[in-house]
Amino acid sequence: MANPRVVISGVGFITSIGNDRATVSGSLRELKSGIERFDFLPGVELPIAVAGTIKDFDTRALHWAGWRWPAEYSITKDLLRGLPPHGLHAICAVEQVIRDARLTVADLTDEDTGLFCGSAGSPRLMRHYLNQIHESRGERIAPMAVVSTIAGTLNFNLAAHYGIRGAVAGFVSACASTTQAIGYAFDEITLGRQRRMLVVGGEDVSFESTYAFHGMRALSRNPDPARASRPFDQDRDGFVGTGGAAALLLEDAESARSRGAPIYAEMLGWGQSADGHSVASSDPDGRGLASAMRRALAAAHVAPANIGYVNAHATSTPVGDESEARALQTIFTAVGAHPPVSSTKALTGHSLSMAGIMETAFCALALTEEFIPGAANLENPDPACAGLDLPRTTLAQGPRLVLKNSSGFGGSNVCLVLRRWEP
Amino acid sequence: MITTAEAKQRAVDQLAGFPADIADCYIAFVEGGDFSRLRQVILGVLQFHLAKPPEQPLAGLPGSTRLVEDLGCDSLTMVDTLFLAESLFDIRLGDDELARVTTLDELVEHFRLHITGSTPTST
Repeated sequence: MANPRVVISGVGFITSIGNDRATVSGSLRELKSGIERFDFLPGVELPIAVAGTIKDFDTRALHWAGWRWPAEYSITKDLLRGLPPHGLHAICAVEQVIRDARLTVADLTDEDTGLFCGSAGSPRLMRHYLNQIHESRGERIAPMAVVSTIAGTLNFNLAAHYGIRGAVAGFVSACASTTQAIGYAFDEITLGRQRRMLVVGGEDVSFESTYAFHGMRALSRNPDPARASRPFDQDRDGFVGTGGAAALLLEDAESARSRGAPIYAEMLGWGQSADGHSVASSDPDGRGLASAMRRALAAAHVAPANIGYVNAHATSTPVGDESEARALQTIFTAVGAHPPVSSTKALTGHSLSMAGIMETAFCALALTEEFIPGAANLENPDPACAGLDLPRTTLAQGPRLVLKNSSGFGGSNVCLVLRRWEP
Repeated sequence: MITTAEAKQRAVDQLAGFPADIADCYIAFVEGGDFSRLRQVILGVLQFHLAKPPEQPLAGLPGSTRLVEDLGCDSLTMVDTLFLAESLFDIRLGDDELARVTTLDELVEHFRLHITGSTPTST
């Protein structure tokens, strides 16, 4: 029996460039940035001054009682008390997926539905709770301190809240986490273990989540929100932090069609590799990422020449972008292929573990709505990008096949191949 | 002793998002020592944390109203209430003290005794 075809049949966004599908799509087409000035530590002048902020939410308070969110979402107190800020965003993104995919909450409780997540946890809440524990000499330990802060917080909370009874797991491969989650979710369906997989990623936008990256000089010091995140530009100087949440539903195509759900894209295959090089820095020659791309293309039975768009991982760091450029040249330029390449992090900022799922969902929109997001903020392409097609503006052409790249600490590389839905 | 200025700052820091009358009653209690205000603070904080709070204010319910059986109060709700009250009033309750408290009156009285420096007896 042939493996089932796997499709993306629902998307949800709480991101710096929009909190619903239509707004996100408009931002991608118009290259509208979600990055703005941000006080990481109010009252303190810091060298990092911009972030991809989440609009219409306020999660600055340490206690959930002080949080605010759009009235269209009904969030109960017993759920809130176990959530980090990005958990609130994730619930809202999943609610969008449920509506979009024409599911009910009850549908998620069958044994054929699983949940894979990626999140680094909530360093801000963890710091708060650990301070309480230390200052009280162990007398004051908030009951939900663990489940609301550690890296599994999304899968803990979402699985319990929605009554998930299929496979549940969290992925912790840093910025490749949710791309890896999508890959393994694809496997769950093609192996016949699950009929559909909810995949969710989220990150806090906070001093504690983002600013620590300044220690390795990975953050942009450019104070101009319109120019700080500039992947592949020769003047790039680091990434801009962001967070929020994104979610999508991967599903057996027949299951989606039987329900009349929208089908955004078909996932054909994926590949992964490790650099075997450094804990924090990419292989300068991009050998690991090239290997992951090669494996993904082979698994999808797609030739490089047939890829119509590459959504790059490129975060706007000097080393990382050059490494990816080398990898892209190895896979594409070397065989005479020149697919348009862009990194949508120029608009959103870099959402760490959530980046892969957010950008995969962007690719799904590009496939179904027939456009290719331009390489925003790119003024002077790095000479290391020679031979790559980096369109400065959005292209009104629909790719048929898309490659999505992600890379994370430890040299983890994950690549996905998506195709426009062809019944 | 907590000063009025400290109380106002704690209200800003720790009661953000709670109904405004809880902060007002808290500041009034710190300023004037009126224990009816304390009752409104404790029961207001408890009401806010209840998963399914009654429509009417807890302060308007009989003092004999049972926390678990009548209000559905679970251990997490009690701990959330306890933590906030400890922070607002600079008191420390033992791990198991509230486990012996069963009604609204007993809850308020327990906090009152701690705040006044009396030793709560077994309730």
